[in-house]
Amino acid sequence: MSKVMVVTSGKGGVGKTTSAAALGAALAQAGQNVVVVDFDVGLRNLDLIMGAERRVVFDLVNVVQGDAKLPQALIRDRRVDKLHLLPASQTRDKDALTEPGVGKVIDELREQFDWIICDSPAGIEKGATLAMRFADVAVVVTNPEVSSVRDSDRIIGLLDAKTARAERGETMEKHLLLTRYDAARAARGEMMKVEDVLEILAIPLLGIVAESPDVLTASNVGCPITLHNPASVVARAYDEAARRLLGETIVVTTPSERRSLMSRLFGRRAALA
Amino acid sequence: MGKDWQVHAVPSIVANETPAPQTIVIRGRSVLALVIAPQWPLDTWLAALDAQTERSANLFEQRPVVVNLGAAPQGERGPAAALEALVALSARGIKVIGVEGIDPLLMGQTRWSRLPVIPPGRETIREEAPREEGAGMAPVASAPAAPVASLLIERPVRSGQSIVFDQGDIIVIGAVSSGAEVVAGGSIHVYGPLRGRAIAGLTVGAAARIFCRKLEAEMVAVDGRYRTAEHWGPDLHGRAVQVRRDKDVLRISVLD
Amino acid sequence: MSLLNFFRRNRSAPVARDRLQVLLAHERALSGRTDLAKVLQQEILAVIAKHIAIDHDKVIIKLDRGSQVSTLEIDIEIPEATLGAAMVRSAAS
Repeated sequence: MSKVMVVTSGKGGVGKTTSAAALGAALAQAGQNVVVVDFDVGLRNLDLIMGAERRVVFDLVNVVQGDAKLPQALIRDRRVDKLHLLPASQTRDKDALTEPGVGKVIDELREQFDWIICDSPAGIEKGATLAMRFADVAVVVTNPEVSSVRDSDRIIGLLDAKTARAERGETMEKHLLLTRYDAARAARGEMMKVEDVLEILAIPLLGIVAESPDVLTASNVGCPITLHNPASVVARAYDEAARRLLGETIVVTTPSERRSLMSRLFGRRAALA
Repeated sequence: MGKDWQVHAVPSIVANETPAPQTIVIRGRSVLALVIAPQWPLDTWLAALDAQTERSANLFEQRPVVVNLGAAPQGERGPAAALEALVALSARGIKVIGVEGIDPLLMGQTRWSRLPVIPPGRETIREEAPREEGAGMAPVASAPAAPVASLLIERPVRSGQSIVFDQGDIIVIGAVSSGAEVVAGGSIHVYGPLRGRAIAGLTVGAAARIFCRKLEAEMVAVDGRYRTAEHWGPDLHGRAVQVRRDKDVLRISVLD
Repeated sequence: MSLLNFFRRNRSAPVARDRLQVLLAHERALSGRTDLAKVLQQEILAVIAKHIAIDHDKVIIKLDRGSQVSTLEIDIEIPEATLGAAMVRSAAS
């Protein structure tokens, strides 16, 4: 049974695309057939994060409008062959994506893939509402910071009201993915506590991903972090999150401030060039 | 004996040569508008307003606003001062849909003449279809029903959501998020933290009350009187409270 | 973290810069005009379709844009029967 999963947040810059790529790669490595779909209209990001930017010929809008067939637009990842990408369009036409059109593409994708991950753009406009429209599962990416939490709450409200599932009276499985968590700042009381975020958003916690320079490195080289640096704290958090999505019960641990011997001796690592 | 057959003559409908006149349907609609009353000196009042909106950014967002100009200075300066207030409010993106507390004649001579001047007193707006010859529509009048109903919501009210139930009480089992609002004809009961806005008493007036497990609200209002977080201070913040209107003031008292 | 890791300089930023330069060079050259790859693909398919019936679902286009050289690869699955019939037709003409 295929699952459509939307990765959304409301607020921009919290780690949706990074998370969609990381979770997609982790699920594919676990043996699932995965496609990650970029729902941004006009700004393409997922292809860059996945390192496929030079191979994009056709995109979601091309498929919706009939300029191309789905197999022509899908790009297979060179590192993990169960991982595919359906890129976003660079068009400026906001009405290029239609609900019935997208619905048809999703139905076609369901025939081929176990997981269809919809990378939502920021905001609550058309791209974001279409990304969630046909979802069975939602991952709400949130930073432990007030405006991100407020926006995530708004998005959760939309997930409960404006999706096909909600309109049919079915519940949508919602998960909270807390990203860019900074243990040191949390310890100093500068960052919202995990418990406070959970109390406000009231959805189950999928995982906590620490703030890390490894994320930037991975996107610089165009490789999902779970593939690029699987031993890193971030990759392991995403990997565990993917396994939780597959039904495994793994206790969520809050990242603690971990400093290596070297950085303790020489102070914090300098910003990397 | 044979059966009696009753024959009903069915009148034949003769096609008209001329088409029936178009009927224009006018309906009434009640919307919740906020009424704000600028005070003079205007600069001081505007500064306080800006401070308020900085704390609760969504206070006026998309909300129709009626401006009460009753405090505008009398005499020659009156209209100019009132207009200054309207200009300042529009510049802040506040959607002014009408004014009150000012002589309509004064407004008529200005560029704000398009704004309706709302007469004093509570308005009940009814839905009616016009009686037209041969229109075949019965007039539909809906009077406000006596509030006996209650609306039960068993999940959190999320940011951006607005629950309006003017026929009675609203009961929420869960949180009312910051940026959400609950508007009731009667009372409001929140079995959880109230972080957004609660507006009670639209229909029952001052008899309405607001109850919540944790007061962290952006605004509470009963029958038009409102209070925001700065009014009740840290002593009441986070406590289980009831909010009621006592003559002209809003009283907030601890429950437990 | 091993000693080696600590002293190895992270060279990811130059990689990012190179990727962006290639990508943006292509995107700026395009701006507004149709991608050459798409046009080529449509015209090549049209030519082939004149001789053989093609199922568009069985056409895969692969593109790799480089800084010096770009590669366009078009894979078309043609059933043996169709190919055989086409060859017979062209031999006969």
